[in-house]
Amino acid sequence: MRYLYNKRTILIVVLMIFCTAIVWAQQSETKRQYTSVTPNYTLTFPKDFGAHPDFRIEWWYVTGWLETNEQKTLGFQITFFRSATSHDQENPSQFAPKHLIIAHAAISDPSIGKIIYEEKSARAGFDLAYAKEGDTHVKLDNWYFVRNETGNYQTKISTERLSLQLSLNPTQEMMLQGKNGFSRKGPNIEQASYYYSQPHLKVTGTIKHQNKTLTVSGHAWLDHEWSSELLDARADGWDWVSMNLFDGSALVAFQIRGKDGTKLWAYAQQRNMNGKTRFFDTEQVDFMPVRTWQSPHTNAWYPVEMRIRTSELEWQLIPLFDDQELDSRSSTGAAYWEGAVSILKNQQIIGQGYLELTGYEKSLDL
Amino acid sequence: MLELRHISKSYSKEQQVFTDLSYILKSGEYVAIMGDSGVGKSTLLNLIAGLDFPDSGEVLIDGTTMSQLDDEMATLFRRKALGFIFQSFHILPHLTVSQNVALPLLLNGLPGNRANTLLAEVGLQGRENDFPDQLSGGELQRVAIARALVHQPKLILADEPTGNLDPATAHEILQLIRNEIKKNSASGILVTHSQTAAATADYILTLTPQGLIPAKASPNP
Amino acid sequence: MKILQLSGWLLLAEWRTRFGQIIVAITAIAMGVALGFSIHLINSAALNEFSAANKSLAGQSDLQVYNKQGFFDEMLYPKLAQYEGIKQANPVLEFTAVVSDKFHSKDHKLKILGIDVFRAASISPDLLGVPAEGKAMDSFADDTIFLSPAAMEWLQLEQDDTLFLNVGLEAIPLRVAGGLTRARAGQRIGVMDIGAAQWRFHYLGLLSRIELKLESNAQYEAFKDRLSKELDDNFYISEIADQEKRLSKMSRAYRVNLNMLALVALFTGSFLVFSTQVLSIIRRRSQLVFLRVMGFTRQQLLLQIITEGIVLGMIGAISGLAIGYGCAVLVIQLLDADLGSNFFYGLKPTIYFNLWDASLFFMIGLSVAVLGAFLAAKEIVNANQASALKSSHQDIAMNRAQWSWRALFCLSLGLLMTVLPPVFELPIFGYMAIALLLIGGIALMPWLALLVFSSLQNSVARLSKNPIILMALARQANASNQASIALSGVLASFGLIVAMAIMVLSFRESVDQWLDHVLPADLYISVADSGIQGGLRDDEQKIINQLPGFIRSDFFRVQPLTLDPNRPEITLIARPIDTLNPESTLPLTHDVIDPYQLPKDSMPLWVSEAMVDLYGFAVGKKVKIPIDGIWREFFVAGVWRDYGRQFGAVQMQLSDYQALSNDLSFNTAALWLDTQTAMSEAYTSLQQLPFSDALEIKQSQRIRKTSLDIFDRSFAVTYALEIVAIIIGLLGVAASFSAQALARAKEFGMLRHIGVTRKQILSMLAVEGFFMTTLGIILGFVLGWCISLILIFVVNPQSFHWTMELYMPWNWLMLISGIMLVSASFAALLAGRKTVSVDVIRSVREDW
Repeated sequence: MRYLYNKRTILIVVLMIFCTAIVWAQQSETKRQYTSVTPNYTLTFPKDFGAHPDFRIEWWYVTGWLETNEQKTLGFQITFFRSATSHDQENPSQFAPKHLIIAHAAISDPSIGKIIYEEKSARAGFDLAYAKEGDTHVKLDNWYFVRNETGNYQTKISTERLSLQLSLNPTQEMMLQGKNGFSRKGPNIEQASYYYSQPHLKVTGTIKHQNKTLTVSGHAWLDHEWSSELLDARADGWDWVSMNLFDGSALVAFQIRGKDGTKLWAYAQQRNMNGKTRFFDTEQVDFMPVRTWQSPHTNAWYPVEMRIRTSELEWQLIPLFDDQELDSRSSTGAAYWEGAVSILKNQQIIGQGYLELTGYEKSLDL
Repeated sequence: MLELRHISKSYSKEQQVFTDLSYILKSGEYVAIMGDSGVGKSTLLNLIAGLDFPDSGEVLIDGTTMSQLDDEMATLFRRKALGFIFQSFHILPHLTVSQNVALPLLLNGLPGNRANTLLAEVGLQGRENDFPDQLSGGELQRVAIARALVHQPKLILADEPTGNLDPATAHEILQLIRNEIKKNSASGILVTHSQTAAATADYILTLTPQGLIPAKASPNP
Repeated sequence: MKILQLSGWLLLAEWRTRFGQIIVAITAIAMGVALGFSIHLINSAALNEFSAANKSLAGQSDLQVYNKQGFFDEMLYPKLAQYEGIKQANPVLEFTAVVSDKFHSKDHKLKILGIDVFRAASISPDLLGVPAEGKAMDSFADDTIFLSPAAMEWLQLEQDDTLFLNVGLEAIPLRVAGGLTRARAGQRIGVMDIGAAQWRFHYLGLLSRIELKLESNAQYEAFKDRLSKELDDNFYISEIADQEKRLSKMSRAYRVNLNMLALVALFTGSFLVFSTQVLSIIRRRSQLVFLRVMGFTRQQLLLQIITEGIVLGMIGAISGLAIGYGCAVLVIQLLDADLGSNFFYGLKPTIYFNLWDASLFFMIGLSVAVLGAFLAAKEIVNANQASALKSSHQDIAMNRAQWSWRALFCLSLGLLMTVLPPVFELPIFGYMAIALLLIGGIALMPWLALLVFSSLQNSVARLSKNPIILMALARQANASNQASIALSGVLASFGLIVAMAIMVLSFRESVDQWLDHVLPADLYISVADSGIQGGLRDDEQKIINQLPGFIRSDFFRVQPLTLDPNRPEITLIARPIDTLNPESTLPLTHDVIDPYQLPKDSMPLWVSEAMVDLYGFAVGKKVKIPIDGIWREFFVAGVWRDYGRQFGAVQMQLSDYQALSNDLSFNTAALWLDTQTAMSEAYTSLQQLPFSDALEIKQSQRIRKTSLDIFDRSFAVTYALEIVAIIIGLLGVAASFSAQALARAKEFGMLRHIGVTRKQILSMLAVEGFFMTTLGIILGFVLGWCISLILIFVVNPQSFHWTMELYMPWNWLMLISGIMLVSASFAALLAGRKTVSVDVIRSVREDW
């Protein structure tokens, strides 16, 4: 028991950063001053493609749909995090864990009916793990996520069980979220991040799993977000969805759920095929469960089928398959649902996206 | 010399050995005691030697009441006044022949030179420094005879001395015992089964539950 | 079938009649087995625990990379982490730190492991700290430490308490953030973030080892070869198995020696069985021969007697195993597994009952009994039937001449073995020599007893006419076989006691003298040995030098050094040594080069005796050792005695060291007081130094005392052995006397008839006991002295690589002799009492 507990605590760190970043607020050790996210900052590129070590937390998050050379559909998710720690900045040791680099990767294979998931974390240092400034360049041992000058992203995840090697090419402009990239996450003005997305990335590459190497192609959605303080203490979890629609338009929506079951904050941005954007605020965005599914692993109930209303528009989400739960309780102590969803409008599939449901197994506030 | 006065002895209620046994052995007499097995011949010898005590009655040797002596006194008396000859010789294996014979002398604090004289008397001249395992049965009994007489005890007790010997040797030994007793002016009691052996004594008594009864034929009255 | 039944009857009948002796023989076997088995159990449990603890530290890695210097540059880590074929590289910084609160107690060091939780998680998960709920970041914080339960208990700290550790001359606070995932019972360790550890403890840029997990298809050997070609000579790659080997090597000599001593105790027990069996056979001689006459074949008779030995041995061995197991469990619970050796300090192992080991000890116990029975049986089986049947002579017809020859053969073979070299670094031949000496000595006994007692008898006969003394002496002289059988137990046990006593005293005296030599100064200061830069700096040396009251101060640099990765570390001591008069500083043996003959072109090195045995660093040779990572050549100028470091140590000129290494720091200083200054004054002035908190100030008198205390503790086990040997010896005396007394019932009966008093018989027995024991003691003394010479001059140098001078513990030996003598006579008397009180009348009668 103790053994499990311990391993868990280590990786809880990982999950905390990944899911919520609430922990940081609670462990408010004032050793280190972070830069705050303010509304009047203008994102400049390519500098802001790179890492922002003065902020507490940062991630590059790719989700997408792939089709294999065997005409099978797969969902995938690759995330690289950088997280600053409260370790003394004065420590001259190269081992001093001032930043942690954490990476997650998962594929949703309907033929297996569940998620295949890998994770890895390390302290930044010795050129073994880093998140570089200047342009996107994150590395964790032999895993990486790199952007070159042409805007192309290369990423590689490699383990014995699962390997992904993908090339991602933008086909559209990036989307700045919120107010020119200033994205609020709660009622408090400090609860915000800098946030831009890259929808409709064209994906090619290979995936190796179950001792098979598959050539894949498809589309993906990239989020890059950095912040020093994210969520309200009253938050219970969130629902988030990204949609690459077949007509070339894109939509992102999220809501922060309060512990009392209310909606603490919500946001959506829609961009149509012509590049015209439209923003929706808390009042205008609703996540409405249509069908819930109970996980056989955790017994948690997830609203795997949802209707999302953005003002007058309604989008229906149907999961690629139900069991896209990441049950990592034995290692990380928590479980959440993260899966590929089809987007329907008027019973017609109009696009593909990714839905993330957190805080259903238990409140993320540990 | 030896007087038994109204001796009674029993080992248990059922096993009464003697009842009111009386007898007087005169000085210089050599008597043979015969009797059936289990009649109490050896017990009688033990009573005389002070190794066992009568239930009632007295054993007197030269006026000393044996039955009144404690173990220590009886031993000291025995050491001086008695000589023993056993059926199985009981010669100490780790002592030489002459040392074995000298034992009673040393015990009585007497000089040991008489041992060799006695050995010569019993015909073992030249064998003084031999060890018992170099001697035959007859020779061992000769040693025992020498040992029994070396300190000139008044009374010799011989319990089946020829039981382990062949007839020819037995005869020699019996003659030797008789001669030595007479020569040393001792008295003697010979306990035996054998008519022939008994015949070497002055007279023969038969031990019965009724007491010591003179045998019909006493060879040397 | 019928034969078996008969054999059973005979066995039972025999045992009914001599129950007491049987018990004694069984006890002897049981004690020998118990002693051996419990020592073995404790030692192997400690070793298992030791290696399990070590394994839990090393985790599940496939290979570990170490440096002979101890610490090495951390830049190897990224190199290995990205090296082809390596799946995971786990950097570890391991060191000990002095606990500030415990600074003044002897036991004050805490082993600390600096780890990277992210790398260690998959390789050594046991070492991960368990932080409090919601404080996951503590796992890599800069001010936290995780403690094993044993460490928490020892330090009396709980989560969130603060632990102060000395670093060089300062004390740093660390918050106890929690426990460890899994630590072995008794294992005292602290775990902290590697980055924090490097920084706080001055190990920046350094690692102690890198643990490697290889790709699953890796070829270990090929990989090892490939990697070692790329690393420089100072690195070595080891597997867990190598470390276990190294570990077991460290304590092997000690363990083997203890086991050997236990075997000697068992061996002594075998003499007891032998004598019990022989005496029982003697008593039954005609009965047994009668069986032969009746038609028992030689083999059947032999089998009958050996069966007795087997049953005896089985009961003894099984009860010995049970007692041994019980003792081991008790010892582990009440004391610790250390047995005073300090090899397994602080461990709380569990005793495991290993059937294989148990059967081994069972077999040893059994064979000892069977051997005893066999030797006895051979005698009777070969006896002449007719004479034995008839004879009242009970002495064994052993061929004295033949036995003397065998004895002499044993003795000379033993002598030969003392000059043979060790086998696998163990003094196997030395122990065989001891066994042969014992056997030979005992086999020679009948002849010696005859010689001594005959001449004694002749001379006494002239002086005294006391029949009691005469009879007693005559018996000893002419029944010397029996006498010597009874003596064999006394002889073996007393010989053993003497040997142990002489060895221990010689060792202790030598250590004492050595301490005089190595601790010439009045006070010693050492700096908490944390951090490679944690020594006394220049300015601090000056301050110490300028303290009033001292006439001289020497500064040393002491550090561990790995010469051969398969062996434990050696110690390098750099200090000022008068090259022309090295004896003034070093406890040199006679193996020294004349200082004026030293070659001018090379640096002198003085090596401990172990270096000569283990590394071949002979005087006059040129040898290489690494100073600051570079292999340098030295000239071996002399050999010194070192009882402190069994695995080797070298001393060199401080100036040479500083020139080679640029390391000007010190971690030890020796201080001499001037005549006007009192110890307490000097002590106080040292304690008032600004950096005194990190200084360990010791008076040489105190060090001496502690060292000798440790010594005494280490030898506590040998005292236990001596006591067991004494008990076995006395049991032997009692057993053989009572056996003889019974066998001599007829003799006593006859003597009582012819006027020997009870008291006289008893005094005769006491005198016999006295004579016999005296001879046993004298011979045992000689034998023991010879054995002690083997222990001192063969066994010790071969297993521990140190020599010593011979010292005799006369007082103690006299005392033990006295006790043995009195108790042997007393045992004889007791045995006699029983016999004399049985029916004297019946005993002379043939028909009972």
